[in-house]
Amino acid sequence: MNAVANLAELTSLNQERRLIEAAQHDPGRFAELYENNFHRVYAFVARRVNSRDEAQDVTAEVFHQALKNIGRFQWRGVPFAAWLLRIAANALADRWQRAARGVEVPADEARIENEAGPADAAEVERRAMLFQLVDRLPADQRLVIMRRFVDQKSVREIAQELGRSEGAVKQLQFRALETLRSQVRNRHE
Amino acid sequence: MSNLSVYDELDQAIDQMLQPQLAQKRRDPGAPPQTDEGNIRELVELARNLRDLPGANFQTRLRLELEWEAAGRAVSVPTEADGHRDGQPAAKAAQGATQILPSLFGKSWIGYPVRRINFVASVGIHAVMACLVGAGFLMVKNAVPGVDRQTSVTVRLEPYRARIGSHPNSGGGSGGAAEKNKASTGAAPRAAREQLTPPIVVEQKQRPKLAAEATVIAPPDLAFPRTRQIGDPLSMLTAPSNGPGVGNGMGGNAGGGVGTEGGPGRGNGRGGGCCEGTYEIGNGVSMPRAIYAPEPEFSEEARKLKHQGDVTLLALIGADGRPRNLTIVRSLGMGLDEKALETVRTWRFDPARKDGRPVAVQMNIIVNFRLY
Repeated sequence: MNAVANLAELTSLNQERRLIEAAQHDPGRFAELYENNFHRVYAFVARRVNSRDEAQDVTAEVFHQALKNIGRFQWRGVPFAAWLLRIAANALADRWQRAARGVEVPADEARIENEAGPADAAEVERRAMLFQLVDRLPADQRLVIMRRFVDQKSVREIAQELGRSEGAVKQLQFRALETLRSQVRNRHE
Repeated sequence: MSNLSVYDELDQAIDQMLQPQLAQKRRDPGAPPQTDEGNIRELVELARNLRDLPGANFQTRLRLELEWEAAGRAVSVPTEADGHRDGQPAAKAAQGATQILPSLFGKSWIGYPVRRINFVASVGIHAVMACLVGAGFLMVKNAVPGVDRQTSVTVRLEPYRARIGSHPNSGGGSGGAAEKNKASTGAAPRAAREQLTPPIVVEQKQRPKLAAEATVIAPPDLAFPRTRQIGDPLSMLTAPSNGPGVGNGMGGNAGGGVGTEGGPGRGNGRGGGCCEGTYEIGNGVSMPRAIYAPEPEFSEEARKLKHQGDVTLLALIGADGRPRNLTIVRSLGMGLDEKALETVRTWRFDPARKDGRPVAVQMNIIVNFRLY
């Protein structure tokens, strides 16, 4: 099993390397790297900031910087996500330093706090996977999840918007969460 | 336990997670305890992570921004330097960052990134369109010589005929007082278009009460040599005599002129006119043909006042084809006479011919100025 996993990981790394080289020659190909790593970067940032807006701002900043500096990226056999998370950690550290103003926060200390440890990395991967799975839910279930957790609307409000009964909305909510749970379990097994 | 109660329990748990205080108030104190607590707790734990889900269109919008940037277009992303501090939403900060020409100098427009090249292209296209429209107006204004289209100038050539009564002009005249001698020599009388008094050398005893100058009928611009004594310039006799003709004048015929054949003119022809060197068109004398005849222009004054009509010019067309002695026979005024004279003076003719030889003739040139 380990050999198969290692082979799959090696294949994935090779594909990623080709994508990086393609993006270095043609920035238009950066979109594929973006799609592959968006949820990972967002999950990493969202764990470290207080609001969704701020998480989105930092995520956007990370990818713009990555696109700008993709030409300077050197392949060393490390996943591209590691480079993106390093950019994200630096962006967060800079942001906190500016926000602190009068309070002196050593740059190195701030960066150490932002570095992803093994446990943190696993949690980031889990959340990124969860966010990706939400995108793959049936349309009505996904809509209920987005309204309930992103817009934080009540079941009654969602029911009025969709023109359905509150019971139907609660049922969609339940099924969506159960689907997500089963898919997360399947991915871990 | 029905499924509906599981849905309700899950929803209440989610409410409590999202808004703990509100959910606590709503909770019914008499409600039964949750029957599937482990399952519900697991789902709520999963739902807890969903609170951090990105906005519905954020991923797509960011991808679009990156594609624009990758394509070399200017895309600005709101940053802290644009005023996003202390947890303020970046999009709102960027929205208010630029008040003047946000499409050109701003970072974003209601959350959408600014593409300055579009603004510049739009301005450029509008400028080009404005220039085209302006040029169109200018060209139409300058290209339509509206007044010229409303004017027409035509020219007609006619032989000159100085008609006196029913006698056709042949360039000569005669007369006399029934004397024995031929008319005596002297200068021809003044040429005029009408004759009030025929020339006489020997005056009658009965003088007229209202004297008029003696003239012969010929183009008025012809200047004969003038001496104190009038007479027939072709005669060799010096003794004063009006000649053997009748009807006043001088010569051997009748008609009041000076010469031999009769008529009121001067010379050896008939009927009126002058001089053997100028021929009348017809009877073997061809009509001159204009070979270079630019059209006269309308005068500005006549154009403005819509004045139109004919100007008749009398011209002597020489054997060399050049018009000479141009005189206005019928005037139109308002500068049109001058325009006609000025232009006809530049004309060139294939001269009239008699027996294949170029000869000088007189002719009328009628210039018709017409407005439409």
